[in-house]
Amino acid sequence: MSLHDFADRLRTAEDRRAFLEKAATMAFGLTVLPALAGAAEQASPKAPNATLPGFGKAKSVIFLELSGGMSHIDTFDPKTGASKGPADAVTTKAGFQVTSFLPNTQRISDKLCVIRSMTAKVGVHASAQYLMRTGFEQRGVIQHPNFGAWAQHFLGRSSQTLPANVCVNRPSNQGNGWFPASHAPLPILDPATGLPNTAGVGDAGAQQKRAALLSELDRGFGGAVADTNVKAYNDFYASTFELMRSRDLKAFDIASEPKSVRAKYGADKFAQGCLLARRLVEHGVRFVEVRSGGWDMHATLEDRMEDVGAEFDAAFAALIEDLESKGMLETTLVAVTTEFGRKPSFEGGGRGHHPLVFSTVLAGAGIKRGHVHGASDPKGHEVAKDPVTVGAFHATVAHAAGLPVGTEIMTPSGRPMVIGNKAAPVAAVFA
Amino acid sequence: MNLRRSPLGFLTILLAASCLWGAPKKKAAKAEAKPAAVPAAVATVPVRSLEDRPQIWHLWTDVEGRKVDAMFCGLSGDIVSLQTKDGRNYRFSVAVLSPEDREFAKACAGKQQGGFPRSVVAAAAADIDRIVEARLAAEGQKPNRPATDEEFLRRLYVDAVGRTPTAAEAAAFFADTAADRRERLIDRLLQSPGYSLQMYNWLADLLRAKDVVGKRLPAFTFEDWLKARITANAPWDAMVREMMTADGRLLDNGAAGFLLFDADMPLDGVSNLITTFLGSNMSCAQCHDHPLADWSQRQFYEMAAFLGATDMKNESMLAEVRKLSRADSGLNKNFIRLLGEINATRLSDASANRLTFPKDYKYDDAKPGEPVKPALIEWDAGDAKRQSYAVSTKSPALLRDEFARWLTSPDNPRFATNIANRVWKKSFGMAVKEPVDDIDDVSAASSPQLLAHLTQVMRAARFDLREFQRVVFNSRTYQSAASPAPDLSKGPYLFNGPIVRRLTAEQVWDSLVVAAVGPTADNILLRRGDDLKPMALPEGKISVAAVKEAAEKMRGMRGTKKSAKSSSGTDAGLAKGYDGEKPQTRQGLMLARASELPQPAPETHFLRVFGQGDRLLSNSSTVDGSVPQVLQLMNGPVARLITDPKSHAVQAASLEPSPAAQVQSLYLAFLSRKPNSAEAASALKALEGGLGLTDIAWALVNTREYLFIR
Repeated sequence: MSLHDFADRLRTAEDRRAFLEKAATMAFGLTVLPALAGAAEQASPKAPNATLPGFGKAKSVIFLELSGGMSHIDTFDPKTGASKGPADAVTTKAGFQVTSFLPNTQRISDKLCVIRSMTAKVGVHASAQYLMRTGFEQRGVIQHPNFGAWAQHFLGRSSQTLPANVCVNRPSNQGNGWFPASHAPLPILDPATGLPNTAGVGDAGAQQKRAALLSELDRGFGGAVADTNVKAYNDFYASTFELMRSRDLKAFDIASEPKSVRAKYGADKFAQGCLLARRLVEHGVRFVEVRSGGWDMHATLEDRMEDVGAEFDAAFAALIEDLESKGMLETTLVAVTTEFGRKPSFEGGGRGHHPLVFSTVLAGAGIKRGHVHGASDPKGHEVAKDPVTVGAFHATVAHAAGLPVGTEIMTPSGRPMVIGNKAAPVAAVFA
Repeated sequence: MNLRRSPLGFLTILLAASCLWGAPKKKAAKAEAKPAAVPAAVATVPVRSLEDRPQIWHLWTDVEGRKVDAMFCGLSGDIVSLQTKDGRNYRFSVAVLSPEDREFAKACAGKQQGGFPRSVVAAAAADIDRIVEARLAAEGQKPNRPATDEEFLRRLYVDAVGRTPTAAEAAAFFADTAADRRERLIDRLLQSPGYSLQMYNWLADLLRAKDVVGKRLPAFTFEDWLKARITANAPWDAMVREMMTADGRLLDNGAAGFLLFDADMPLDGVSNLITTFLGSNMSCAQCHDHPLADWSQRQFYEMAAFLGATDMKNESMLAEVRKLSRADSGLNKNFIRLLGEINATRLSDASANRLTFPKDYKYDDAKPGEPVKPALIEWDAGDAKRQSYAVSTKSPALLRDEFARWLTSPDNPRFATNIANRVWKKSFGMAVKEPVDDIDDVSAASSPQLLAHLTQVMRAARFDLREFQRVVFNSRTYQSAASPAPDLSKGPYLFNGPIVRRLTAEQVWDSLVVAAVGPTADNILLRRGDDLKPMALPEGKISVAAVKEAAEKMRGMRGTKKSAKSSSGTDAGLAKGYDGEKPQTRQGLMLARASELPQPAPETHFLRVFGQGDRLLSNSSTVDGSVPQVLQLMNGPVARLITDPKSHAVQAASLEPSPAAQVQSLYLAFLSRKPNSAEAASALKALEGGLGLTDIAWALVNTREYLFIR
């Protein structure tokens, strides 16, 4: 029985239209409709930044989110004197220094661009994480999108059946912002489990009948209520039916990676998340966020750098090398992000929150290699050279990914918005 | 509108205040613009409030004649809660007691309820409606139409007992034609076991209840304490006071958990408690003067100084244990260290306040490294003259007690408002002042008058959260049809009715569990804190023998720890900790209510997928959607549970005489309403076309309506 037979059984023309609309996204036994494939929601106007260096080199972007606030001084911006932490500085082959907590990162230093002059004002985890994730300060009632949602808005989907936006080891937290729920990141809470429950209950015939019944029974509330949150679930159901048909679901299965590759990344959740990110990007997912927790090192910083820090170090290096060896680093931008740095003063075995200056890292896709951008003062207290705001960081990533930086869009409530909150990309980081 | 029918002085005066809202719009707008923290007419009103509840001690006898001397803490359905003199809490079926004591427990429950008389509830609820409706009228808006019985039933069940009703429960309500059926249902549900379970979920998210603190420190005792206090319907101010003034090991005293969760970062702890209990946003001031609000870094440190003498780690105990772990004892060193940590984590008051300004303090009003003198924050010029501000800072050992007294006083300028605002949000989907974590400027509330009234009700209820919610549930405002999510960029939401809400993770899960096994799930109660108590080491006498003994006793507990990591949440070790009925495991899922599962659930568990928080930060839960949620409901173990012919909902439906009645039973079970004619026809046609009742159950669970309350 085809979908059209089903539809013919529905009594009124309106019934049929509503059902077909739903069924189209469910698409049992149908090929994907052309309208669902890659095309952008809006014809994107010519990007004002299209002719500048580095534009659009990144087909995919991976954000490594070090949650809790990575100490810049104990990682990518080592200091001497009173600010020095428990680890010594090591000069890498790229010429810049990192601390001895990052032995594997030293190995890939010639592929990295370290930004040592990040600066922000927010020193509270939740608000600072929001800022780092969206490029906007958390103010008032508006929910800002993550980078993947912006990219999906301007560039459309990146794969016919896989989502364009995935987050790993973290919830979605309305990452679609004001964009429709179809732009929300698909959360993978445990990379080892991947995306469970993709097989329907019962045989295909029963599934099809049940789905048809569902669309009939859902017509009242799911159809009529003008609530944005309910509509979001309509989108999630549509996306789910579509995803269940995907032939690319193996992208979520890191168990199919060779043991040697998995071992290189590490056995911890962050490492597995990095490996999953690489697989997803390989299969056409445009944007992946991977969270690493435990960076809020008020106390026992040394122990935790040897634990959480070492896990990051191994996985980050493995990811960069893996992408490079597969020839994907030229088209993939990897960003190491964190909500703020930590204080120069070392008290009680750790350091407090410090948004005034901190470090991030970019690598791949047209970014300078073996480069340091900006600098903090000798104490690591404030920016000494070339400050980079979080908005500018987002504008830079957007430029690399080929998004029109500076182009205004309107939110549904009629507010004009620009990715990166009107900041300009940092031109100096592009090769 | 009869403004004089209110039986209570304070309410009558409130009504007079609310008459202002009948004035022309311009005047109302002007009144609104006044920056008064709390409208004067309300603040000076005399409050006639609930009486203190008596403590009832009694020598209890069980059916086998055994006796125990204990305080009555509450009777919730068939579950009685007692506390023995050593502070331990027990919950068990009332059937265990001798027939005389069964009656005695019921009599105690009657004495303890001590709630508002119905007339007061009605009047206080009517005041909510008058304030809301006057404001709506002033803005040219109208309240939503009254909620139907179906809408009311589902909403109330979810808000009062944390789950949707079963088909039988729904049918019973619809069969009730008495005019006061809604009031009676409110009263009944607020006294039923589910009330405590849902309050626990709500408070666990606010207070960050978790099984394990940091990497490995078990904190079950805090959960047990919280459950016991909720079951006893302890007033909020008493609970907060207990958490703030707790002494001793987390191992022995669960209430200590709240402060000890931040033992490694006490300043973050202070900023968290100020936000949680006062809705004051001082967290920025921890590092620098607050950029937007008035708080300075100095003020933050002065507040933190009240905990400056609070000691959270027993260093001498740690040193003893460290020594032992270095010696060749043949014991696992990791285990010894864990044991040391468990025993050393405790609250005690030192004789000196050791807080100093930070090394990088950069303002002129204090020097880096200088000791900080404790001082309380004020929101308004007159605050310092309030009676609650008379605190003594002379004795460092008493600083914490003095602070708690100020914090929880009904006279504190924000304590009552904060909890009233948060509880309101629980039922309406939006607070009167958003965000709830920042109510410093109460004049910026969507309706300062409503917030002031709710504050008064909270004070009058003596912080009895059950009575407060009873008032809210009885309001016409609560019993109105829900609004779709409002666009706040167009102006504040003025409560034309509650907002359409997605069920919280716990509410979806608990509803599904009850659909699978029936309402007896409400009687499955987990208690695990007692398992920790044998691990208490005697200070100063730590020996290989003592550690070995503790290790022996701890063996039973290890299974529990392991289960916290397994993804399905099933484990025999966990099942050991249940009082009364034991949960079943089906489809790899332990079928107990969310409050009786690991806290929080493992990260791939249904609960986490639907947004249960990680409990690392306060209010970490979310209700936004995702594809994995849909996959769970369509294809996951939960979908299989619901579509199992043995599920409670499907079984109940199959006992109905006709297909039409069967369909109706499933509609009642999942959507708390009868199907309309088109829906009934579709479902019947599906049955004729080869689908079964389980398929209809599947379809209903997957409707958008299932996940939302309207």
